[in-house]
Amino acid sequence: MIDVKRIQNYFSFFKETNIAPLIVFRIIFGALMLFGVSRFLLKGWVQQLYIDPQFYFGYLGFEWVKPLDGNLMYLPFVLMLISAIGIIFGLFYRFSAALFFICFTYVELLDKSNYLNHYYFVSLMSFLMVLVPANRKFSIDCLLFPKIKTDTTFQWHIGIIKFQLAIVYVFAGIAKLNSDWLIEAQPLRTWLQAHHNLPIVGPYLQESWSAYLFSWFGCIYDLFIVFFLLSNRFRPFAYSAVVFFHIVTWYLFPIGVFPWVMIFSTLIFFSVNFHERILSFLGKVFGARRNAGATSKPLKKNAVINYLLIVYISVQLLIPFRYVLYPGDLFWNEEGFRFSWRVMLMHKEGHATFYLHDKKTGRESEIDNSQFLTKTQEDQMATQPDMILQYAKMLKNHFDGKTLVYGDHSFEIKDPAIYAKIYVSLNGRPSQLFVDKKQDLSLLPYNLYHRNWLEPFKK
Amino acid sequence: MKGRSTIIGFTCVILLSALTFVSCKKDKDDEDGSDFDKASLLTNLADNIILPALNDFSNKINDLETSYSVFRANRTAPNLEDVRVKWKAAYLSWQKVKTFDFGPIRDYGFKGATGTYPTDTVKINDNITNGGYNLATAANVDAIGLPSLDYFLYRVDALNYFIGNDPYATYAYDVIQKLKSETTVIVSAWNSYKSTFVNSTGTESTSAFSLLVNEFCRDYELAKNSKLGIPLGKQSLGIQLPEYIEARRSGYSFEIQEASVANLANIFNGGSGMGFDDYLVSIDRSSLASSISTRFSEIISKIDSFSGTLEEEMSTNVSELDNLYTLYQGQVVSIKTDMSSAFGVLITYQDNDGD
Repeated sequence: MIDVKRIQNYFSFFKETNIAPLIVFRIIFGALMLFGVSRFLLKGWVQQLYIDPQFYFGYLGFEWVKPLDGNLMYLPFVLMLISAIGIIFGLFYRFSAALFFICFTYVELLDKSNYLNHYYFVSLMSFLMVLVPANRKFSIDCLLFPKIKTDTTFQWHIGIIKFQLAIVYVFAGIAKLNSDWLIEAQPLRTWLQAHHNLPIVGPYLQESWSAYLFSWFGCIYDLFIVFFLLSNRFRPFAYSAVVFFHIVTWYLFPIGVFPWVMIFSTLIFFSVNFHERILSFLGKVFGARRNAGATSKPLKKNAVINYLLIVYISVQLLIPFRYVLYPGDLFWNEEGFRFSWRVMLMHKEGHATFYLHDKKTGRESEIDNSQFLTKTQEDQMATQPDMILQYAKMLKNHFDGKTLVYGDHSFEIKDPAIYAKIYVSLNGRPSQLFVDKKQDLSLLPYNLYHRNWLEPFKK
Repeated sequence: MKGRSTIIGFTCVILLSALTFVSCKKDKDDEDGSDFDKASLLTNLADNIILPALNDFSNKINDLETSYSVFRANRTAPNLEDVRVKWKAAYLSWQKVKTFDFGPIRDYGFKGATGTYPTDTVKINDNITNGGYNLATAANVDAIGLPSLDYFLYRVDALNYFIGNDPYATYAYDVIQKLKSETTVIVSAWNSYKSTFVNSTGTESTSAFSLLVNEFCRDYELAKNSKLGIPLGKQSLGIQLPEYIEARRSGYSFEIQEASVANLANIFNGGSGMGFDDYLVSIDRSSLASSISTRFSEIISKIDSFSGTLEEEMSTNVSELDNLYTLYQGQVVSIKTDMSSAFGVLITYQDNDGD
């Protein structure tokens, strides 16, 4: 049934293989990052997301990661631009890749309102790029330090990248194996009907069957595409499917550069011969001299790396399943939701009213969320329990010790309570009570334990 | 090779079962005949609600300007009374325009310039005393527009302030002139924007449909908070803030509030044509559509039930105002969460992967 030799071959981390796919991937990755970061800057998102907000939703354990003051926030983005160019040309490659990884991850850690699976993917990928010697051919580093030049590299250097791509697809597919997606065709039913004014296809997108078609095709695609990409025979068809699938998603949904990242990254599954041809084409374009065969010293196998790889792979395989440790509905409670490749999986909207309660007088104020949060932050916070707690604690800190003056009345607020009444609509269902106004949210613990203060989800 | 054929076999089985499943499911859903069209909704709103509202407002502002010119030339009590009538009509008409804060209205900052309150009377008097004011500056946004005229026309002893005080009468005239010239610009800009509007049916946050839904929600929240909640003390530990009452001096705040909600209800129902309610019905959310519609009527009849001004009721009838506020609150979730999410409308400009 299963081709054992082939599987074994995947695990021969230190077998030598042609380095061309890794080199091409380096150039592609660098170029995509250069494009992505430029786009982010041009859209004015640095200002909107990292300068304008007064408060940031840090990640548990990473709250010490703070934004730089004002326009200094442009610095990590400029460094990303420079390091992406360094990656493309293989100039001080390890340093460039490390700088990119640090800057990108720093920015992502600032505010979970901006969490996207594809940002997480880029963080992981740029981390992996630091570990692999993707500058040992066709790079400026090779001109500066000719000794590093080589035609071969360890198999894991390329395998780990394919593995990471496989993780994204397969887990995105597994995540779709749920009743909302398969049986209700939600959230696609909601998202597709909104496109009913598109020429030609528009009217069909209102039909129930098209929601099912997209849902089931998307699920099957995600689950199996990697296996077809690995097969020499099916690769051309599989890659056409990749291009088709991602262009459709790019056209219909606001998912930014992610479709392009996947379309170009999956080229790594192509044969060595394919990548050699790309390099020789690029060589002609850049007028590179055809160098004599590489004579660098053979690579040294490293047992530590062997174990680290096994750890990395295991962690990647386990993290998306951590949700099984929590009771209750995953989409409702969002415990173990992030970092699990749950892409395009739910349509969740909420409305949150927070209350400041002065214990001394028993008086209460409704909070105008827009005074503290940006629109994006408010929108994300209203449906995500951990952010609701963070916001409640932030409100408490803000008001504790403040004197509020209204006309002739003055209130010294000491140790106030923060309540909230929140309604959430999930995947096309009518909205339900998500958080009731019955507990002081600012006193609840913010940790990884199960949160029992949410109202139960009624399917 | 064997591994591959297993995968292919497995895939075929899944595809087949998917198709079977889809064809079974199709029969059940086919009757709803979802053939709604956002473009028709936008066309209906533009032709039958937005443009008529703009034309009406433009007429009302012209009437106001005419009556004020008469009054300015001859500052008598009956003439002032006529200006007041025309001002009230314009203020009520404005409620049907201010919801549409996108396209030309947004581009020209028309909403802020026309309707910002509470008005800053100190600033107004400083402007008059110092002269040489520029009403178009951002700093003067709360010293102009319809709310500033509430002060001029309805302050205690209003007529006597005008008599023999030309700089004072000129300031009010400048405010009205500004309203008039801006309204003319907006009306003509909207007529050319109309074709963009009716064709912008996409799901991106910048599409006219998304903007319309978002501004509809925002205007509803403004009715709830600015027209009622804030004066009532909902954001100030229960301490009433009468200085935040809209049109406090004239005492028309309830009428204005009612006009605002009636306009939102009218947009929701699409007048006698296609509105948000029809869209909801087409995507199997008819119970949501009827509950929103009913709630609008309840709010309007509740506002109707008050006989005094908002300020009077705030001192004598707080519990009924609280009930009105509760009615408003129940509707926010239906509009902002249920309706917007059912439409698949986006609120932010950033990338999104649906989580």
